[in-house]
Amino acid sequence: MSAPHPRRAAVTGIGVVAPNGNSTEAFWKATSEGVVVLDRITREGCEHLPLRVAGQIRDFDPPAAIEERYLVQTDRFTHFAMAAADLALEDAGLSRSDTDADPFSVGVVTAAGSGGGEFGQRELQQLWGKGSRFVGPYQSIAWFYAASTGQISIRRGLKGPCGVVASDEAGGLDALAHAARAVRRGTDVMVAGATEAPLAPYSMVCQLGYEELSTVAEPDRAYRPFTTAACGFVPAEGGAMVVVEAETSARERGVPVRATLAGHAATFTGASRWEQSREGLAQAIRVALDEAGCAPEEIDVVFADALGVPEADRAEALAIADALGPHGTRVPVTAPKTAVGRACGAAPLLDVAAAVLAMEHGVIPPTPNVFDICHDLDLVTARARATEMRTALVLSRGLMGSNAALVLRRGAADAS
Amino acid sequence: MSDRITVEELAELMKKAAGITVAPEELRQQQESGFDAFGLDSLGLLGIVGELENRYGTPMPPDAEKSKSPRQFLALVNSALLAGA
Amino acid sequence: MRRRVAVTGIGIVAPGGIGVPAFWDLLTSGRTATRGITFFDPSGLRSQIAAECDFDPAAHGLDAEEIARSDRYLQFALVAGDEAIRDSGLDLAGENPWRVGVSLGTAVGGTTRLEHDYVLVSDRGQHWDVDHRKAEPHLHRAFTPSTLASAVAERFEARGPVQTVSTGCTSGLDAVGYAFHTIEEGRADVCIAGASDSPISPITMACFDAIKATSPSNDDPAHASRPFDARRNGFVMGEGGAVLVLEELEHARARDAHVYCEIGGYATFGNAYHMTGLTREGLEMARAIEDALGQARLDATAIDYVNAHGSGTQQNDRHETAAVKRALGAHAYDTPMSSIKSMVGHSLGAIGAIEVVACALALARQVVPPTANYETPDPECDLDYVPRVARERRLRSVLSVGSGFGGFQSAVIMTLPRERTE
Repeated sequence: MSAPHPRRAAVTGIGVVAPNGNSTEAFWKATSEGVVVLDRITREGCEHLPLRVAGQIRDFDPPAAIEERYLVQTDRFTHFAMAAADLALEDAGLSRSDTDADPFSVGVVTAAGSGGGEFGQRELQQLWGKGSRFVGPYQSIAWFYAASTGQISIRRGLKGPCGVVASDEAGGLDALAHAARAVRRGTDVMVAGATEAPLAPYSMVCQLGYEELSTVAEPDRAYRPFTTAACGFVPAEGGAMVVVEAETSARERGVPVRATLAGHAATFTGASRWEQSREGLAQAIRVALDEAGCAPEEIDVVFADALGVPEADRAEALAIADALGPHGTRVPVTAPKTAVGRACGAAPLLDVAAAVLAMEHGVIPPTPNVFDICHDLDLVTARARATEMRTALVLSRGLMGSNAALVLRRGAADAS
Repeated sequence: MSDRITVEELAELMKKAAGITVAPEELRQQQESGFDAFGLDSLGLLGIVGELENRYGTPMPPDAEKSKSPRQFLALVNSALLAGA
Repeated sequence: MRRRVAVTGIGIVAPGGIGVPAFWDLLTSGRTATRGITFFDPSGLRSQIAAECDFDPAAHGLDAEEIARSDRYLQFALVAGDEAIRDSGLDLAGENPWRVGVSLGTAVGGTTRLEHDYVLVSDRGQHWDVDHRKAEPHLHRAFTPSTLASAVAERFEARGPVQTVSTGCTSGLDAVGYAFHTIEEGRADVCIAGASDSPISPITMACFDAIKATSPSNDDPAHASRPFDARRNGFVMGEGGAVLVLEELEHARARDAHVYCEIGGYATFGNAYHMTGLTREGLEMARAIEDALGQARLDATAIDYVNAHGSGTQQNDRHETAAVKRALGAHAYDTPMSSIKSMVGHSLGAIGAIEVVACALALARQVVPPTANYETPDPECDLDYVPRVARERRLRSVLSVGSGFGGFQSAVIMTLPRERTE
């Protein structure tokens, strides 16, 4: 087992804005109870599209969460990001005066896959419908993929390393790994994660070309990974930000270490080449376990990517077996995202949040709408399962070919 | 359409172009304050200038977007609108 | 022992010429590649000029299928990637694919195609309810910027860490920086790094019009980009792509590769100030420079050339001058600092990687590229900006800096290979 890094990266705060809850508490309650919120799309301008079901955020009230001006100046994906960052920082006990004490010691990194699509569509309509003079000044800062990192940094006064990775769904895990590396290189705190808002009409049109997208109209049948009825995935919006902090810094501040980011790896096996993703995902798991100094048998729960495409599901089940050996068919596997859908790069962030909370509560959340598993996996289906967990493995794959694995250890490492 | 921008209209423009809510009365009383005191940034002021240019079909003075205070801004745009009327 | 990172291959698509020879020729001649926009009718726009690439993807080896499915910015990256891999002499088939990564930056990704198809599905902006049946087949590839790294990784069969970086106008520097750290930290032995953007489209031109960031010198496009000159009036939009092969130094030496330079250090900080505004002091950029110098184990006085962000906006050039003076002290006055944006324009996310290529070539050839169009000094910009004429100079260590919307301030240091004490 490799020696633990002197500046181990810990999770000390979690902030969630998700279709099943606009706070970490509401998210965990719904997730652990398996409450399904997938529903017919009701967003204006989307009703006629051949994509019927999504995980929409319904009761998020931006003016209650962020200053009013951001409603005009930024896109919905950035509203989510700022709100989630606030929740995460508050959860970590980091106030403005704490971070102001040394602003260069706190950075921001987000993953972004879809950008400010609703804002962009509005300004495109101004340009092409009325003329270039009708494009507003905030288009230059609201549509692009870096908007959320920039706005969080400015709004909270954070001057540490700031970054944006855009590696599709798996990019959400890459953003956390990026944060962990920044911590190891000397930054005390990173606000890291992803939020997305890809459900604007034109953004939806752009996604229709994905063969993996589910077009089934019944919400309870639209997203059923690992079953013979698997028919693709359901898109969603929202996401999570987490506070990633040097364990030493957390100890000095006297805040609990919720989990450590023990190991991560990312590989690439080609866009939509799901059969090859078996090898790529297995390789990512092996390297992540190695970095974590973790034996396969130590994994207590796997949060699966669960794309819902038969070849992809098969590849994932085989990858888990390839990388974890006999333990792969015994370890509990779950995919709570069947309740909420997949929000591009933010999808694995919800899994990371759920994994940390699952280990804290000793409860594996279920995989709603999924039964009759056609793979050799111990999938936690209808109801949550109570069990003691110390180590979780979170998996993610992107439609453009990325695979990533993240190993999370519960609590402070030196407590084990 | 009036050829003068009132404090009330400026307050509406701040709301529309930059999402800043300020009561006209407050704006009137604090006309000497910097726009930043109301939370309006340089992009917001550019947006207000653009909105006026589109509305009146005439360019605003180049210094309008650099105005520091509501009073300065109103003086500049109103002199331009008066000259153009 | 610390792993060192070498640049062993370079490829470039830039305005004024495709490929390294044409690019270097433009940079050292002091000519400019800025002109009136030809891609669409720019009338009605405040800024109607840009640095466009005369680029024929078929002439550079892309087949009809690749051209059809790839946005222009992807085509740039594929062509630049081909040149870089060829130049490196690397036999990718002989590499462990899990140890080959990709790190590519883009600020606006597939925006040009997104706009093109938006016009189709909305009946030219007439409807919020867009008609999906009018969209073209490859639109989904424009939706997410991760297509960039994905397309390049597929072409070169990289299977290691593959990521797109999208930090606005520092994307190119940051992508090279991430690749540097990826190899340094042992997560890959080879990394295909760089950036690409093709933002010359109505929506991107219009959004910079709205904030008056671009130059309105429509009557004199060749002299419109005037970094550090007192009469500068905004940046000139550009496009292009640059790809570098980054390689662990011992890996490169083991195969007797030509090493252009090493990447010595990289850092980035946020200014936490304003999405588009810059401070007068440049504290955060100075901090990035100091951090990068620390990684490279160099004193500020070791820097022989600064490749500036030098966009040609009033505030940028002032900010950057202040930052460089803060980080390099009195040595800043003895150090040439130039902006190639005077010649190739500002290609948003791509330009940082294009500037890293310019630095690698400057080190290899011991020549400092000039700042074209520089004539009238600005009292607030009082450094040696290498006016108009390229300059021979002994170069061992060079610095490239960048600023981006969102407050990103980045710095990369490149050095000639040398024996460092560990």
